[in-house]
Amino acid sequence: MILEAKNVSYFYKSQKDKLILKNVNYGFEPGKMYALLGPSGSGKTTLLSLLAGLDTPTKGEILYDGKLITARDLTEHRKHHISLVFQSYNLIDYLTVVENVKLGGKKEPEPILDKMGISQEFWKRNVLQLSGGQQQRVAIARALASDANVLLADEPTGNLDEATAWDVIDLLKRIAHEEGKCVIVVTHSKELADSVDVAIRMDQLGK
Amino acid sequence: MKMNSLQRAWRSVIRKPIKSILLLLVMITICLFLLCGMACRNANVQTQDTTRQAIGAGLRLDANEKNRSKRLTECSEKIGAGQEGSYGGVHQKKLETAYGTQWMVWCDNSFDSLQISDIEKLADVPGISDYNISTCITAVNPVGFDRIEDPDMDQTNDMGGVVLIGNRKMELDSNVLSGNVTLKDGRMVTEKDQDVCVISEQLADQDHLAVGDKIGFNDYHDPEHSQVQEATIIGIYQTQQPMSPLMAGDTFRSENIIFTDLRFPEKAEGSENDPCYEHAYFQVGDVDNYDAVKAAVSAVDIDWERYDLIDRNGNMSTMSSNFNDLEKISTLLILITFAAGFIMLFLIFVFWTKNRNYEIGILLSLGYKKQNVLGQLFAEAFITALLAFAISFTLAPAASGAAADYLVSAQAEQAELEKNINADNVAYSTVQSEQTVVGVDVDITKEMFLICGAGMVILTAVSIGTAGIGILKKNPKDILSELV
Repeated sequence: MILEAKNVSYFYKSQKDKLILKNVNYGFEPGKMYALLGPSGSGKTTLLSLLAGLDTPTKGEILYDGKLITARDLTEHRKHHISLVFQSYNLIDYLTVVENVKLGGKKEPEPILDKMGISQEFWKRNVLQLSGGQQQRVAIARALASDANVLLADEPTGNLDEATAWDVIDLLKRIAHEEGKCVIVVTHSKELADSVDVAIRMDQLGK
Repeated sequence: MKMNSLQRAWRSVIRKPIKSILLLLVMITICLFLLCGMACRNANVQTQDTTRQAIGAGLRLDANEKNRSKRLTECSEKIGAGQEGSYGGVHQKKLETAYGTQWMVWCDNSFDSLQISDIEKLADVPGISDYNISTCITAVNPVGFDRIEDPDMDQTNDMGGVVLIGNRKMELDSNVLSGNVTLKDGRMVTEKDQDVCVISEQLADQDHLAVGDKIGFNDYHDPEHSQVQEATIIGIYQTQQPMSPLMAGDTFRSENIIFTDLRFPEKAEGSENDPCYEHAYFQVGDVDNYDAVKAAVSAVDIDWERYDLIDRNGNMSTMSSNFNDLEKISTLLILITFAAGFIMLFLIFVFWTKNRNYEIGILLSLGYKKQNVLGQLFAEAFITALLAFAISFTLAPAASGAAADYLVSAQAEQAELEKNINADNVAYSTVQSEQTVVGVDVDITKEMFLICGAGMVILTAVSIGTAGIGILKKNPKDILSELV
């Protein structure tokens, strides 16, 4: 297991009676693409946040490679172990394509962009000059540049048209299968969930 | 590989021009206000120092006009009504004219002059560091050189002369102390000099006179027969403003005033050993000890009815208080600029951080530390501050010039107001120089730039630090919840 949730429960501090996650136990393996499926309010984004080290569970623990992610600074977990892709791309608007990918960190941006199908003519353009699909590819490129073993994506196709969305899904699958990463995607889409290696329904996770 | 905070900051400053220009303008304004405030403050301090030095702290001894009338009456009574004769320097003579008998009464220098023995007694008082004696303005005939004349003026009633002012020590003459008369060439008269003079630059130019040349004078009443006295030119002076003439006519015009050694005027007018000392000036060594020294001088046993002892720091206190107020205003301006600057910058940075929550969230999700994110905001602010500082450097001289004009006009206005009520003007029968400040040095100094730079760094750091507390306090989830 590269990433594991052990007896994880979570409720908002301001609403202690409202349980979001209860005794979630699940392990994620490298080289596979997972989909967290469920309706709004089912806790899939909360689980993603806990796996990303953006928040800590009320009870239970998150392990990365068998070690508690809280053993070190959570920033270190975000920096070295996981990378995030968001629905709204979340690129920095005053940076170029290459510069945004550089924010990811460890790897050279150009080969990754090449691999993501962003041709050279776009590299020095401002990210706002790209289409939605291209921006999401840049966001994925940035996630890959960090060379983290786990890629967490929250509704990565939510803002894309169907054809582009499937392109992005294929891309994420390739990342999981060809590069051996663990890709976890949060989605509402049943079709998308059916196309991945493991689809996890939130109601089966112990809520 | 990863972009550091400085690289990101530079790109943000360059590629988000509106945000940067807004901050830049605010910072330039703060910088200029700070520099202007410091320039004003510095100018005030310098002007006060200059004023203090120019006016000095001293006591001036003048003849008492009331006492003069009283003595004149007493002397006339001693001579006797309807009698010809002389007593105590007063002369009475009967003249038979076509209109009948006329009585002519006149005084010689011994009647009008300050008594040298009294002056020397006062000069010996502890606390008096130096003293000067100035003679009455003495009109004489120029020999071997031409005086300055107004070609449009009718010279019929003018005596055709120049005037001499003898000084024991010229550097303590009121015209020199006020800063109006300064040397252009040579040196000033000292107590050891004899038969020397210092002429105006206009006179020197017109007559091609230079230091080392000799010029002559004799009695203007009888220029053809009276003995010519020669004086060596030891200096050439210039004035900032023409010295006010004692009487009408070219004889008394500023350019025709010649400063000599103390005894020369009496020789030139043909009354050697009958000097006319009009003022004595006693310099107080320690300005802070002024009142005690004045009390000691007043306690000296001389005939005080004959004299007026005039404060020569009256103007200084008025002017100083005037400038003290300006100094306070300048200090207040600096403090207000700091406070207003802090509030403005703080609000801008709060707006920044709030507006850039999205960007901050992205960076935190990528594993950047809060300090690194805050460091980028610091770097952006400092890059802008640096640019603002450089622009302010360019604009600072114009700002300081405006400050100078304001200071000079404010001081001149105040001096004008004081002119008529200042005791220092009583019995000022010699050429009176203007004691207004005609210019102040408000240069922006290196120290000011350093202080302004340091001030801006502190202001920026404190305001962005305060605004950035929000980032440091926030849990990444709080920021990122909007994104995830």
